[in-house]
Amino acid sequence: MPEAMLLGDLLRQMGISRRAFLKYASYMASLMALPPSVAGVMADGLAKARRQAVIWLSLQECTGCTESLTRSFSPSLEDLIFDFISLDYHHTLQAASGEAAEAARRQSMRENRGKYLVVVDGSVPTADGGVYSVIAGRTNMDMLAETVEHAAAVIAVGTCASFGGLPQADPNPTGAVAITKLVSGKPVINIPGCPPMPQAMAGTITHFLSFGTLPELDALQRPRAFFGETIHDRCYRRSFYERGMFAKSFDDEGARQGWCLYELGCKGPVTYNACASLKWNGGVSFPIQSGHGCIGCSEPRFWDRGGLYRPLSAGTTDVGKVIGIAAAAGAALGAGAAALARQRRASTSAKEA
Amino acid sequence: MEDLNAGPYATRRADAGSGVADAVVHEVARLLRRLAVDPDFADVIDLRSLPMADADRASLRQRLGDGEIDAALNLAGLTRIRDTAYSGVWWARHADADNRCVLEQIIVARVPELLMAHLADIDAAAVRLSLELSRAQGKPEHA
Repeated sequence: MPEAMLLGDLLRQMGISRRAFLKYASYMASLMALPPSVAGVMADGLAKARRQAVIWLSLQECTGCTESLTRSFSPSLEDLIFDFISLDYHHTLQAASGEAAEAARRQSMRENRGKYLVVVDGSVPTADGGVYSVIAGRTNMDMLAETVEHAAAVIAVGTCASFGGLPQADPNPTGAVAITKLVSGKPVINIPGCPPMPQAMAGTITHFLSFGTLPELDALQRPRAFFGETIHDRCYRRSFYERGMFAKSFDDEGARQGWCLYELGCKGPVTYNACASLKWNGGVSFPIQSGHGCIGCSEPRFWDRGGLYRPLSAGTTDVGKVIGIAAAAGAALGAGAAALARQRRASTSAKEA
Repeated sequence: MEDLNAGPYATRRADAGSGVADAVVHEVARLLRRLAVDPDFADVIDLRSLPMADADRASLRQRLGDGEIDAALNLAGLTRIRDTAYSGVWWARHADADNRCVLEQIIVARVPELLMAHLADIDAAAVRLSLELSRAQGKPEHA
């Protein structure tokens, strides 16, 4: 069976040489801030791995995460990740439906017991017995519990799966919760974002395949390689922030000159993600470069933090408590945000120690 | 489509060199000295990981110059590996299928690993060629 072959042999039959593995591994090592010398080891690890069985559960979600991961790729280097995995169940993408689709999920679970990865996008409604989202007559809670039982690891893709996201926004009528609230005894990796960055997803799976381990995670169980710095840390407009040059409206001279969007509600200083360095749409742009502040979509409770256009200096329901914000601008707030970031790093280190 | 890297939304950060190119050249020199005494030595500098302005990159490229080899590899997008004016120092640019640069590296080695045929590929090629010869000669196929 093709699934039993090593990836190196399997892909060679498809005309993909080990050179391509090495190029892919070099790219991934760079994305994950691994030493370049790791690329050879990573390429060898990939070539000796077998196709990774993946079961993808789409629960209380909008399909934006799937769109991000599939449609954002042109035929390109990152596409190789789809040759490395066997996507055995994904009810949006698979040809099978109904009983045949569910049979495919159960078959994969049976044949890859203890080895398969479960990817989940969407939160899980728990109110009223979980009746607000049902697939094949079964609640999301029920299907998740059954599917993860013999999984090697679970990857929560998107902010809904990672932190509850939009469905969990106040007043949370469906009782939506994050995957980590329902899964225990398994490694759970969060790749938040609305939608998440596809490179983070590909990098996490590649790391698992190459080294047999999960990448280093932060305090919120996010891969540190992609969520180790704030948007603000890598923002090209940061020099304006440092000089206190802020756009006051979306159409003023400051906005036209590309000044900092902090006073227009940019959440970059408290948002950990790689948008500013990797960018979107094949590296073309990211929200701040397109003239809109970061909305902080990869952070918990981003919908309930006081409004997308409210500056951090005006206080937010969560962050404001920590920073103790008055209406200070520029450097003063920068110090508060930086303190918050340091606090998070410190708590991460403490947790890891 | 509007070029978002130009016009009102472009960074106004000064594009003058920051001195990173100097530091990289010193690092390359150090690695090259190691290669000179150990022919099996190889190392890579990931330029993407460095805070380089366009001016830094251009300065670095100019200082390293061009050598004799310019190799193009079609690997899920074009990869070009050029040697520089300093033997043993190579400049690699990796692009995706849309020719967007996804990675740039300076490689210090006698031959970059990417240019060498991999043993597993050679094994498979030997089998394929034998089969091809067998077919051409009308002999029964055997691996």
